[in-house]
Amino acid sequence: MIVAERKPLEEIRRNLAGRKKVLVLGCGGCVTVCLTGGERQADMLASQLRTAAKVAGEPVEVTVRTPTRQCDREFIDTLKADVEAADAVVSLACGVGVQLMAEVYETKPVLPAVNTTFMGAHSGPGTWTENCRGCGQCVLAETGGVCPVARCAKSLINGACGGTNKGKCEVSRDIDCAWYLIYKRLKARGDLSFLRAEREPLDWGMSSSGTRRTLVHAEVNDQAHRRGAEGAEGAAERK
Amino acid sequence: MPGRQLTSEEYARLAGSDALIETEWAPCRAACPVHADVRAYLDLIARGRFREALDVIREVLPFPGACGRICHHPCEQECRRNDVDQPAAIRDLKRFVAERDYPEGQKFEKPLQERDKVAVVGAGPSGLTAALDLARLGYRPTVFDRGEAGGGLLRTAVPAYRLPRKVLAADVDAIVAQGVELRLNVEVGGAFQLDDLRSQGFKAVVIAVGLSKSRGLPIPGADAAGVELALPFLAAADSAGPGLAGKSVVVIGGGNVAVDVARTAVRLGAGRVQMACLENEKEQPAWSWERHEAAEEGVATLHRLGPKQVLVRDGRVAGAEFKAVTEVFDGNGRFNPKYDENRLTTLDCDVVVFAIGQEADLALVKGTDVKADERGRLVFDRSTSRTSAADVFACGEVVTGPGSAVEAVASGHRAARAVHQFLSGLPIDLGESLPPKIDKLAPATAQRLVKAARAEMPAVPAAERKANFGQFELGLSEAAAMKEARRCMSCASGPFVLTDKCAACLTCRRVCPFEIPEVKEIADISSALCQGCGICAAECPANAIVMAGYGPDAVRKSVDAALASLDPKGLRLVIFTCGHHAPAARWGGSDPARPAVSAKEVFLPSMSRLSAADIMYAFEAGAGGVIVLECESGTCRYPTVELRLRKRYEQARQLLIEAGVAPERLALHVGAADNQEAAFAAIALMAERVTRRAQGWAPRGQAAKPQTAEEKSK
Repeated sequence: MIVAERKPLEEIRRNLAGRKKVLVLGCGGCVTVCLTGGERQADMLASQLRTAAKVAGEPVEVTVRTPTRQCDREFIDTLKADVEAADAVVSLACGVGVQLMAEVYETKPVLPAVNTTFMGAHSGPGTWTENCRGCGQCVLAETGGVCPVARCAKSLINGACGGTNKGKCEVSRDIDCAWYLIYKRLKARGDLSFLRAEREPLDWGMSSSGTRRTLVHAEVNDQAHRRGAEGAEGAAERK
Repeated sequence: MPGRQLTSEEYARLAGSDALIETEWAPCRAACPVHADVRAYLDLIARGRFREALDVIREVLPFPGACGRICHHPCEQECRRNDVDQPAAIRDLKRFVAERDYPEGQKFEKPLQERDKVAVVGAGPSGLTAALDLARLGYRPTVFDRGEAGGGLLRTAVPAYRLPRKVLAADVDAIVAQGVELRLNVEVGGAFQLDDLRSQGFKAVVIAVGLSKSRGLPIPGADAAGVELALPFLAAADSAGPGLAGKSVVVIGGGNVAVDVARTAVRLGAGRVQMACLENEKEQPAWSWERHEAAEEGVATLHRLGPKQVLVRDGRVAGAEFKAVTEVFDGNGRFNPKYDENRLTTLDCDVVVFAIGQEADLALVKGTDVKADERGRLVFDRSTSRTSAADVFACGEVVTGPGSAVEAVASGHRAARAVHQFLSGLPIDLGESLPPKIDKLAPATAQRLVKAARAEMPAVPAAERKANFGQFELGLSEAAAMKEARRCMSCASGPFVLTDKCAACLTCRRVCPFEIPEVKEIADISSALCQGCGICAAECPANAIVMAGYGPDAVRKSVDAALASLDPKGLRLVIFTCGHHAPAARWGGSDPARPAVSAKEVFLPSMSRLSAADIMYAFEAGAGGVIVLECESGTCRYPTVELRLRKRYEQARQLLIEAGVAPERLALHVGAADNQEAAFAAIALMAERVTRRAQGWAPRGQAAKPQTAEEKSK
């Protein structure tokens, strides 16, 4: 799941630059689950904006909508009337949703209300922790289900560095050393062979440091089917 | 029982109506013969809104005073609190609101009555109920009774120590005040016949004559002086009283009437009172609590005795002889006593009272088109409440057999519906489709619930009460009643999940103090397990959980109403507090000690319902300050509310300060909700702090820690 955190109100208001009619847009997907951008949080942001405007003596008109997801056109197409009636849209979706909104409603300022932070899991009451960085070459089969890319400070792929210390990372004593965790997990499974093998470096061009990535499922993409004959079906590819 | 689900669209259609809260019933309501909305009136009592509670009762039960004392309270038998500690004292609470003096008085409005005249024969609970229902529907009912006052057997057969006459009279007066004409001292069937009613223009007749004749037994000696029948005995005790000083009395029978007779005999001065019944202790039909009270007063109960003869000396009772009972009910559970004629017991006594059952006096139908069967019972169609004559209906014990007052009332309701359909030219259909009742509490849930001792009804000690006919149960005090009403668990008031909004985020599951929600594709919150705290509804990030009893807009509407009641020019404070635990009556509007600040309370069913968004809304809506008053630590009926509320308060506080609201405009006080002095101090403190700043909105400041009542008093 994509995890995001709310931006300070001050930044949101600064970006709004005094616009009088604002559409606050929650998202019913990941940001609802991580308690940052669901309908309730959208209501609370709207409430903040109205109150802040009142304090400042510059009333604004704020409406709230929360589509099922902002990362699908079909859902955001339903917002047309509300978007057109507003001077600006403040979106509580992750950067994916904000960009798609901005693309669909080209002439409307679509402003982010959250910082999209990571892909992670619920790790305790009200807490989410990063687990995946989307490197595009998953090694979890070999690392005992612990991702060295996301969880090692250096994203090392060939074992712990010299900074590992009693299971903790040299960056901070609060951070577990991913490689220590990998070792423990593999030992528990009784198979340390991966640690003995040498691995090729990752192709970082496949990861977030590369260019924009696209996924095509040919079975539901007519265009891809036509290209399917040319041998390009169902693959992640760089454009 | 699976959780309840709706789409947002369906919810939008139903919001604000009773449809959601009526989807399922609490077991108390399902068990009540008249389906009184127990949960609703207990909640009103908890909030100190006693008169409104009484109105809820009166909608379906015109005898709140009488039933508040003598009802056999099946609601309490079914109360889900039985699985936690003890049932809520529903009957005692009914009595509390019924006997209270209201400053506004007991005003009743007479409905517009332009429809047909209907005659009701018999002014007992069923007849008066039927008449009242018909009056409310616009008919003109007249109730005929041969007695000198209304109330039927409640007046002549229920002893005054259980039901004071003036209490019953007040119930009857209220019925009359709502458009029922009462004609007393008229015997229908004597000089005045059933057909006379028809010729006088009554378009329908309801026979509600009850079971007014006591049965005797054709055993030797039954005609001796000193042999009495239960109903005349009880009626006489009520007026003059035969005087039984020092005498030994044997009551034959084991039912509730027999217990009434025995306890009445004690009060008439009998030296020794023994009840002899066929049944053993387990089989005996009288209510256990009444048997217990009788025993406290010195009544001895002898079991498995079948009356053989009354022993007579010089024409007067000298004793009673009994044969042993070997079996009361046969293999099919039918009443079919068997005796051992060789095992005899003799009880010496001066008086024998037969309390073995009643029968109807059907003189009024003799020679009419209203037929009785060969066993002397009215020919009656239960499905239409109709007798053999198309325009004559019947209700109450004459057709149901012996039962309790509230059952007679239920029967009266049915007869009134039948008459209404008949006179409207409709086919008679008394079928009712009632909402399903929720299941029993799961043991795991019961274990998590906060226990609370049931209010004890203060009573006159047995030694003292047995000397007179004074009411021996003294009634609950206001404080005890409100505390007791708070023990209601608000069953079936739980949530609906909006299927199109739920993101299956698991928040409900994670915050529920009872671990009730199951999340599969979406959340599934069992209405039988849910305790209705609403913590999940206030936390759900998708606004996908709506409570049946207090919807998502309820807080906002209350805030709007509160602000609208205050002068918009000055500082307006909104105070969020628990209506369930800190009722308006305790620290409300007109107390002279209240600070002269423009402040208004918003009462919530529990502070668990107050969300951070609600707090923020108050400012948006124009409040100059918000005070959150929490109850004393550990007093909430729901676990974890204190923690949740503090966190929501902190969240709202941060978001509001971020929006430029000065921190002194927000306060949380723990322990102040149910403490008038602390509540008033909280109001004064905020007013002082806010006005100390320059007028209007203050600049941003340092967030102050929320104060507790204790800190403040230092």
